[in-house]
Amino acid sequence: MKNFFTVSLTSFVFSSALWIIWSFFVVQIEGNPNWLGSVFYLPHAARILCIVYFGWKAIPALFLAELWGPDFSIFDLESLINVIPALISVLSVPLALQTLDWFGFPLGNTSASPLNKRNYKHIALITMISAIYNSLFVNLMLTKFSMSSQEIGIDQIVRFFVGDMLGTTIVLMVLAMILNPIINSQKAKQSRSIHQ
Amino acid sequence: MTNFYENIKDALSMLNGLEKDLNIRHFTPNELKVFYTIIIQSASSEGGSNITEIVDNSGMSRSTVYKTLKKLTNAGIIGLTQSPDDGRESLVTLNSIS
Repeated sequence: MKNFFTVSLTSFVFSSALWIIWSFFVVQIEGNPNWLGSVFYLPHAARILCIVYFGWKAIPALFLAELWGPDFSIFDLESLINVIPALISVLSVPLALQTLDWFGFPLGNTSASPLNKRNYKHIALITMISAIYNSLFVNLMLTKFSMSSQEIGIDQIVRFFVGDMLGTTIVLMVLAMILNPIINSQKAKQSRSIHQ
Repeated sequence: MTNFYENIKDALSMLNGLEKDLNIRHFTPNELKVFYTIIIQSASSEGGSNITEIVDNSGMSRSTVYKTLKKLTNAGIIGLTQSPDDGRESLVTLNSIS
């Protein structure tokens, strides 16, 4: 349970921030066409980053953010309908990690690790597998329990998949650019301590 | 708490690798702004972006935009072609990001 509170708070704030930014863009495009928001689904990046780097401890906070995110009201009865799809979305990442583990690619943080969390290409692989699970299982659930007002076809599954991939790519690229000064200052500090 | 910071370090390391491969580290913030303006415009315009529009949309001075275009052209990231509509106007086309 070490660091559980810190991890939960970080995951919730990060995920909520992405929900807010994503909602802002969805409002900007005025829902025209109404599926455009799902083509760049930023919140998937929070699921990926928090679960890959913090592990299972991030799941409860991500799940709460997932319930709160779409409507920004957790006590709204309507958002309770999202409980199962939200849970599936969050669990798509551990499921992807487990799948890779079954195929002999356990997650590690060294260059010798079959699945290295320090390598963005490996993160891209996790994103792709989790996006497949998320798009398939969420849409299956929506169809099974008739939870969607519109008809769900293969185009929606593909859109969910593309949206998760694209959303995560955008977030990672923006973070890479924003966090550049931090990374550089950290490196400068390290090199100074080596020379001293 | 050490474990938490170790995880953050791993994430930063991953982002560092991504930024390195994007090959944008040697650009200044102003140059990056021009670069992203070109990317955004390339997505919406076929055949290349108009330099005047890049100046307007990036909010940078004409000289900064021209310096950046020269740097990007030398790096092989963009190409300059003559506009078919106006012989005096050059169009910017995106070759590659990496």
